[in-house]
Amino acid sequence: MSLLRNMVTGLRSLFHREQVNRELAEELGAYLEMVAEEKRKQGTTGEEALRAVRLERGSLELAKEVVWSARWESFVETCLQDLHYGARILRKSPGFAAVAVLTLALGIGANTAIFSVVYTVLLKALPYPQADRLVMVYENLPLPNYQNNRNTPSPGNFSDWSAQNTVFENMAAYSNRSFNVTGTGEPVRIEGELVSAAFFPTLRVNAALGRVFIPEEDRPGSSHVAVMSDGLWRSRFGADPRVLGKKIFLDDQAYEIVGVLPPGFHFPDPDDQLWAPLGLTPEERISRRSHFLDVFARLKPGVTLAQAQTQMNLVARHLAELYPDSNAGVAAEIVPLREDIAGAVRPALLVLVGAVALVLLIVCANIANLLLARASARFREIAVRLALGAGRARVVRQLLTESALLALLGCGLGVLLAHWSLGALKVLAASNLPRAEEFNLSGPVLLFSLAISLAAGLVFGVSPAFEAARGKVQDALKSGSRESADASRLRTRSLLVVLETALGFLVVIGAGLLVRSFLRLEQVRLGFQPEGLLTFRVIPRGDRYNELTQRTIFYHQVIEKLRALPGVQSAAAVRFIPLTLATGRKDFMIEGRAPSGPGQLPLAAYDIVTPEYFHTMHVPLLEGRDFFWSDSPQTQPVAIINEAMAKHYWPGEDPLGKRFHLYGRDDNFPWMTIIGVVADVREFSPTREAEPIMYFPIAQFAYPDGILRDWVVRTTGDPVRIASSVPAAVWSVDKNLPVTRMRTMEEVRSISLASQRMNLLLFGLFAALALALATIGIYGVLAYSVAQRTREIGIRLALGAHRKDVLRLVISQGMRLASLGILLGLFGAFALTRLMSGMIYGVSSTDPVTFVAVAALLGVVAIAACYIPARRATRVDPMVALRYE
Amino acid sequence: MPDKPSDLVQGTLDMLILKTLALEPTHGYGISVRIEQMSKGVFRLNAGSLFLAIQRLQRDGLIQGEWKPTENNRQAKYYALTAKGRKRLDNETREWGRQAAAIGRILEAS
Repeated sequence: MSLLRNMVTGLRSLFHREQVNRELAEELGAYLEMVAEEKRKQGTTGEEALRAVRLERGSLELAKEVVWSARWESFVETCLQDLHYGARILRKSPGFAAVAVLTLALGIGANTAIFSVVYTVLLKALPYPQADRLVMVYENLPLPNYQNNRNTPSPGNFSDWSAQNTVFENMAAYSNRSFNVTGTGEPVRIEGELVSAAFFPTLRVNAALGRVFIPEEDRPGSSHVAVMSDGLWRSRFGADPRVLGKKIFLDDQAYEIVGVLPPGFHFPDPDDQLWAPLGLTPEERISRRSHFLDVFARLKPGVTLAQAQTQMNLVARHLAELYPDSNAGVAAEIVPLREDIAGAVRPALLVLVGAVALVLLIVCANIANLLLARASARFREIAVRLALGAGRARVVRQLLTESALLALLGCGLGVLLAHWSLGALKVLAASNLPRAEEFNLSGPVLLFSLAISLAAGLVFGVSPAFEAARGKVQDALKSGSRESADASRLRTRSLLVVLETALGFLVVIGAGLLVRSFLRLEQVRLGFQPEGLLTFRVIPRGDRYNELTQRTIFYHQVIEKLRALPGVQSAAAVRFIPLTLATGRKDFMIEGRAPSGPGQLPLAAYDIVTPEYFHTMHVPLLEGRDFFWSDSPQTQPVAIINEAMAKHYWPGEDPLGKRFHLYGRDDNFPWMTIIGVVADVREFSPTREAEPIMYFPIAQFAYPDGILRDWVVRTTGDPVRIASSVPAAVWSVDKNLPVTRMRTMEEVRSISLASQRMNLLLFGLFAALALALATIGIYGVLAYSVAQRTREIGIRLALGAHRKDVLRLVISQGMRLASLGILLGLFGAFALTRLMSGMIYGVSSTDPVTFVAVAALLGVVAIAACYIPARRATRVDPMVALRYE
Repeated sequence: MPDKPSDLVQGTLDMLILKTLALEPTHGYGISVRIEQMSKGVFRLNAGSLFLAIQRLQRDGLIQGEWKPTENNRQAKYYALTAKGRKRLDNETREWGRQAAAIGRILEAS
């Protein structure tokens, strides 16, 4: 209550200051008169009474001041006064104001933009109720030739984990699946998920319209049902509430729409639009062969991550005893959902934050430098204030308020810059940062921006303010005795320049390492030739393609159609093209070699291809032959392996003619004979070394994962030119199949380097900024020092010094600062660049080439920055200089 | 001046002003005169601390001021206790009595 009253009275007196002051003055006046009257009454003579009153009056003026300054609003008022004064000062020197506000805005804008990314990716809660209780559950595989603690679980493990754990409220599984949607207009493919019954209950998300799945629907062969995203509902069904109960054709099957999800919902992928039940068959439910499910769970209330992990370890050990062949050594790994989504990008993001914070520090150093230069100009003004009785604290406060004003202006413009750059950042980050679509300037981000602005204001304002309020008043007022204060100021400024150069060096080193790394990546031998390749995705699914022979005929026919297109040399299909972060793995057993122990079957990546795939990709066939269309279920089962597999499993032997068997001794799988060896290809990403991989011919691969998705076409000219004729070629075989992801292989490669490119681009920007600021810093200090030494230089010239000597004198002064900065930066870089080791490829974090090149670059830039003031120094006219002052 | 006026014990000025106003509403000068009289010249207030205290008490809602003519037909701001101020005075008087007695006991112990 009384606080509120205090606020109200305070605000009243702030806005009606005149009236409140008059009232106080009147009250004090009355008091004074009463004192005088009392004195007279006591019989003091008129003169003495007057003297007493005058004495009292002195103390009354003080009383007025004391009463006024005890009010909180007086603090506010002084601030407003200072701001007002500060604004006037800034208006008087628009050049300084513009440079300071602009550099600040760049620093703050960059920090705000990066923080909005960090906030969204690392800090902001995931958009699900109590999302911090959600965890992913993985298999931890410690096989001798394959270690992975984030392996997607097999359905058998998922079933047993769900049944035997006591720490999760709910556990659910999903598997990414795209659907060919047909019925109206051109066929489209929509991304979606096949999900277990507990999927939505685990997320605690319900349908906005209709319902989500009931457990009975998560069974094989039960009626086909689907729920859709709000976005799909609006775009394809015009937000019609009568959509419930309607049929939608997915992969030629009719699905009944039972629900529409709330706006903005997506899980796990942002582009998911459809969800259908997983419907595992009883055999699949207990299968431990294929590991293809993503499993997540919600922790029971009160259960910690460690407790859950401990209990799941017990469950996993129990399963390992029950099923040694598949589960020996297999542990369960619990990863918080947020960590799963953002963990991989955290180190790089934190390095970016560090870099951009360094840039802000450089900005601060630069502005402090400018302020110090101005402190010299305002020296007289401040000395006069001090002489007239302003307290030093008061002067410091005034100067700090001016810095805060600069900081706030910088903040405003910086937020605008951040707002504009976020659009670009979204595009840049879309394919390599999670939740990029959520980047925005939300409350916390703006608060952060304000906080760093004020902190920056304090950082760059403190030293100049104290510097200005220092010094003896008497000295200051005597003209011509400025040198001592100026010399100390120059020392501070030189220190700032050294610091700035060192910080700039750090940022530029970071950018340099990324450049080197990117150049390495561009030169990585991928093992195939991306130039002249077109790729797209067509997935034959539906009743027509249930049988292997139907699929094989489809692939063969479409490939013939594609080959008939003008400008096409060859075409092929594959499960996943390289560089798309997709890969599958299978257990196998080599004929005549027993596994070293239960569950110790070797594991290798695999892919399924049509004939001519290697030829189309320009992957050299090192030995043996390619697959033929004549390899069929009736002929000998065959396989092609890559060089890495040959070297790893048949070292010093000829693998041709050797036989192996998938999944240990499962009799459904025949022995396969190796008929060829191809060169290694970087399948997963440009940065991951080729690993052993086996290729199977499409015509012999009858299992459900034997559906090829990606197509490659080798063209004679620019692959883009045939892009428009591809859909017609596909549709001439089946007009119901959507053709998507049409890209050149060069684009695929470019996308695969998106995160490196983003890091490089951002770092490059920061480095450019840092370099420019450091240059301005060096230039500013030298120009200042030259102006100050005009007389000295004049004397030197008058005494016969050559202009060359003067040039050398000034440049060497600047270079001393720059080299000190570079040296400091070198130490810092040796200590810090190892934080970047996860972001760079093929270069050491203390790469000598980069270090030397960056040091040289900074040296050259510093010389350039020194040259202009040095030239000015040589033009000093000795006569003018000696008359100076 | 034989005896130098004493400094007030920290925090007691507010209580003394409240007490003065409890007897009868008066203006700033009246308060200072009355405190000086009642303390037989031991406490003399300077205008600065007096008006600072008045402002504080006013903002806390313990007293409230009103412009009125004095007996000499001059305008002065008269202060009076509010209900809240009266309650505060009672509390503080009681607390003061308790503490003074306790301090007395300690000082008299031999």
